[in-house]
Parts: sequence; C-alpha cells; structure tokens
Amino acid sequence: MYQRILVANRGEIALRIIRACRELGIESVAIFSEADRGAHYLDLADEAICVGPAKPADSYLRIAHVISAAEVGNVQAIHPGYGFLAENAHFNEVCRSCKIDFIGPKPEAMSKLGDKNAAREMAKKANVPIVPGSDGVISNPDEALRFAHEVGFPVLIKAVAGGGGRGMRVAANDLALKSALQQAQQEAEAAFGNGAVYLEKYIEQPRHVEVQVLADHHGNVVHLWERDCSVQRRHQKLIEESPSTSINQKTRDAMCEAARKLIQQADYTNAATVEFIVDKDGKYYFIEVNARIQVEHPVTEMITGVDLIKQQILIAGGEQLSMRQKDIKQKGAAIECRINAENPARNFQPSPGKIERLIVPGGFGVRFESHAHSGYIVPPYYDSMIGKLIVHQPTRAEAISTMQRALAELRVDGIHTTTALHQDILSHSAFVKGEIDTTFVERMFSFG
Amino acid sequence: MANGGAGSGEVFDVRKVRRFVELMNEHDLSEVDLRQGDQRIRLRRGQEPVVSVAAPQPAAPPPAAVPAPIPAAASAAVEATEEDANASYVTSPMVGTFYVASSPDSPAFVNVGDQVGPESTVCVIEAMKVFNEIPAECSGSVAAVLVSNGDPVEFGQKLFKITKVG
Repeated sequence: MYQRILVANRGEIALRIIRACRELGIESVAIFSEADRGAHYLDLADEAICVGPAKPADSYLRIAHVISAAEVGNVQAIHPGYGFLAENAHFNEVCRSCKIDFIGPKPEAMSKLGDKNAAREMAKKANVPIVPGSDGVISNPDEALRFAHEVGFPVLIKAVAGGGGRGMRVAANDLALKSALQQAQQEAEAAFGNGAVYLEKYIEQPRHVEVQVLADHHGNVVHLWERDCSVQRRHQKLIEESPSTSINQKTRDAMCEAARKLIQQADYTNAATVEFIVDKDGKYYFIEVNARIQVEHPVTEMITGVDLIKQQILIAGGEQLSMRQKDIKQKGAAIECRINAENPARNFQPSPGKIERLIVPGGFGVRFESHAHSGYIVPPYYDSMIGKLIVHQPTRAEAISTMQRALAELRVDGIHTTTALHQDILSHSAFVKGEIDTTFVERMFSFG
Repeated sequence: MANGGAGSGEVFDVRKVRRFVELMNEHDLSEVDLRQGDQRIRLRRGQEPVVSVAAPQPAAPPPAAVPAPIPAAASAAVEATEEDANASYVTSPMVGTFYVASSPDSPAFVNVGDQVGPESTVCVIEAMKVFNEIPAECSGSVAAVLVSNGDPVEFGQKLFKITKVG
C-alpha cells in the first residue's frame, strides 16, 4: 500500500481525501495556491506545498507544478479529487510516465469513456438504452425532418462541439424544426467556431439518475446503487438523494446492472458514475460516464456504508474489492444539500468573504463535509461550494425532517449561502411527494 | 516548505517535537531523553530551552545538548529580522529542487555580496528532470541566500534577499 499520496485538489474534497489517508495510515501531501495559504485543513496533511498564485490555471491546473510537488513530496500516488485535473487524460499520462499512480482509471479507459460519442457506441453495444439520436451530423432540414419523424417530436438540436447548454434548441413540430435548426447552427458557429449539429429525442420532464460503480484491477466490478440529482439549476446540482423516487425496483435493478456491465466491458477501473436520464414513463436512457469520484459521493456512502474514497485508494494500490455485489444493500434514505457561498436573491451571485461565525449542525444521522471554519475567508477564485450537508435516516420523510432541522442549525454568518433556498425546496410539496424533474427549480422558484 | 512536516530527509517532525514540549510543560518535566533504534531526541527545559535532534549516524556519538533550532522556527526568526525597505526577494516561480550552481562541479551562480541585474541567473530549480535557470528579476546586491543547495522549494518561497544599492 502507498506510504504517501499527493492530494491534487483543495477545499472540502482535499480534506475528505486527507481524512481517508489518515485512517489508512498513509501520509498525505497537500497542495495549495497562495489564496488558500493558511487554510486550517492543510494542517491535517503531513506536508503542504504551495503550487502557485490564486488563479487555478497557474496553480491547481498547472500540471508541471503539481507533478513537481508530487516529486518533491516523495509520493507514490496522486488523488485528483473532482474537477481540476480529475478527468484530464494528459495529466493522467504524465503521472504514469513519472511513475506515480493516478488514483482513478487508466488514461486509455478515461479517454474512451470520456468521449461522449464513443461512450454512446459502447452503451449501444452493451444493449444499454441510449437517448435516440441522429447517427452523426445533421446538415440539412430534410435529414432533420426524417429523424424527427422517426423518433417523434419534440427533438433537441445539439452542437457537436458544444457545451454549457449553448447551441441547443428544442423543436416541437416541422415548422419549428426548420428555424430552430438554423438558429442552433448559427449559435454553434458563433460560440464554438463549429456549426455542426446533431439531433436527439428530447426527453420531457427528465429525471437525472446516476449509478455509482467501483471496479478493481482484478476484474471485480460492483454497482453501489443510484443517486437522484434532479434538483438542479442551470445544470448545476443543488440536492442529491438516494434512493431515487422516480424509478421502481425493477428499473433500479436493470439500470444499475446495465451501468455495472458497461464499466466492466470498458475495462474501466476505480470509481465511475454512469449517468442516465429517466422520462416521465420511467424509461431510462444512458447519457454519459463521469470517470472520477463525484461531489455527491457521500450520499452513496451513507446508504451502502462503503467509504468510497478509501476504496479508490485501495483499488489503486492493487487491493481486491472486499465486498461482493450481493453484499451491497441500500439502507434507509440519504439526502445531500450543497451549501454554496452564493446569494440566491441576486441571481446566485457568488458571495466570497469572511465567515464571521460558522455553527455546524449535528445530531443523529447528520454529516457535514466542509473545510470552512469560523474566521475562514472564502476566496473568490474557485467553486462557490463551501460545504455539503448530508443526512441519513431510515425513511425519506425522516431524512427530510432531519435535513430541515440541520439546515436550521447551520449558521454561516458573514456571507450569503444557499441554505434558505434548500429549506424552501425541501418544504415544497412537489419535493416531498418526490415529483421532481430537472426543470423543477427553475419553474418553481424565481430568483432576484 | 509550509507546515514543516516529516520531509524526505528529516527524522523528527516539528509537530512531534512540539507535542513533547507540551507534555513536558504539562507534567512539569525538566528533561526528556528518548531513543528509538539509532534515533534520539533530547529536550531540556530551563532558562535556555535546548533541543537536540540526532539523525541516524553510523559513526560518532551525538554531542550532548547541542542547540539545533527547529527549521520552521528558525526561518520565521530569520524572516522577522530581515524586513527592511531596501530589501527585495527572489522568490521561486515553481515547485522543485534548488541548486546554487548549474552542476556539482561548477561554481555557484552568485555569492553573498555579488551585484545582480534583472537578467542575472541566480540559481537553477530542477522540476520534472528539467533544470530551469532562475533570473533575479531585480537589481542590487545579494544580501543572503535563504535556502540550501538541494532543498525542495515551493512556489513563492523566498530564495535570495537582494538589497538595493544607493
């Protein structure tokens, strides 16, 4: 097993990884930018190395500095966390050539499943349902119409080179399709320099349901059930929970097994999350694979009792998975609320600055994952998430009740946070009834 | 290096030593002498706190009660006395290993007292097998070399103190 690991991240996930290392008896080397100098969580690592100025591109994303820190820190492995370099296949390769283990998949597996089209092809081959899409670029209105009539309206036009929801248009009929196609092509050209578009069936009232998978280097692959992440705003998750209220057990079993098989067939190792979209009739479609540990991994940890970060380290170190599929059960209900330093009343404007006082909630079934503390200054350069509040209870109703209690106890004085918004969402009848799709937040709540 | 922990070459880390000192104060001990294998640490409390840390050495026995300041405390003390209006610092632009010369047989790029200009190479830092020559980026005379040959350095770490002339 490793003696020393470099934690190539910051904030709550860096703290999470440091904690796992401490429990495994592994020394940790933390990195930090000048903006994070003096953060308390750095004291919990065995060593901390400054890798650059505040801007991520000059520090946390600066591969040369991160690798140098790994060499100077004398580590055998690097845990990339999530975001930053976690899905950077080039960084993964550099680690390999420097003889440092990357705690995650091999570069080839990362590239293979990271390519959206290749992943869709693999899913098709594995008989996993995918969102029906045009096989390639749609260049003229006739092709578009043919496809739309085949899969049925409404259809979604997406930019091939796209991202962030740009170059996307929904069309509900023939007439709308012609103009939508043109608009999408123009927007894609302007935004990405590539006007090529393709079509997908538009899933109405979609639920976002993802499956956690772990695979070791000995051919063992298990799924750890699903997480429902439908409470989103502009494609950013706000609340995640497990089990999902939008699928029945039959669908759950099928979806989770499909995810497990896909990862196995891709020869992928370490942690992965397979994302699906579920339509209003409960039918599921594969979207993509996230080849990293995710922000919301604690939800799965509470439900299954499995420490996912430790498992990542053990897998990378060559250990066999200690649990078998039949041993992994879903117990109770867990919910996570992402506490962001943002002001919902002003269109979620980031709210960096000094936390004058932080009071952390506690009690039975409450878990708070955060690097923040009273007096902590939230820097303006990074993601606004300052903590994750997770609860676990025997039933969903009890989990909601505990989360409400915990949110009311949480005090983050000095900056704005999304705490009150979570309280509103959790008390909304649609959420309580479990009737949410990814449009819920934007439909039900108006901001600023 | 921030939070001086058990670096690649050190035997005792600062936190452990600090903890011993705390325990001595708590239990009102005046002297503690600990040995494990060929490692030894001896602390004596009194008017002049004395810390001796012996790294594993094959030959000569460690001299008694030799004051050996803890590196983190030492650099803090050095920094406190060195702030003045005329001084600027050459800081490391990267993470790596500091060398005073381009090779073990070469003379050092600069010595204390030398004049430097913005383009003067003052040291090399090795990162990922690449040796990078580091320019002074300021003018003046070298007042102090703040790190030792072969030391690991982090981004922003002070390497040289340069005093402006005139």
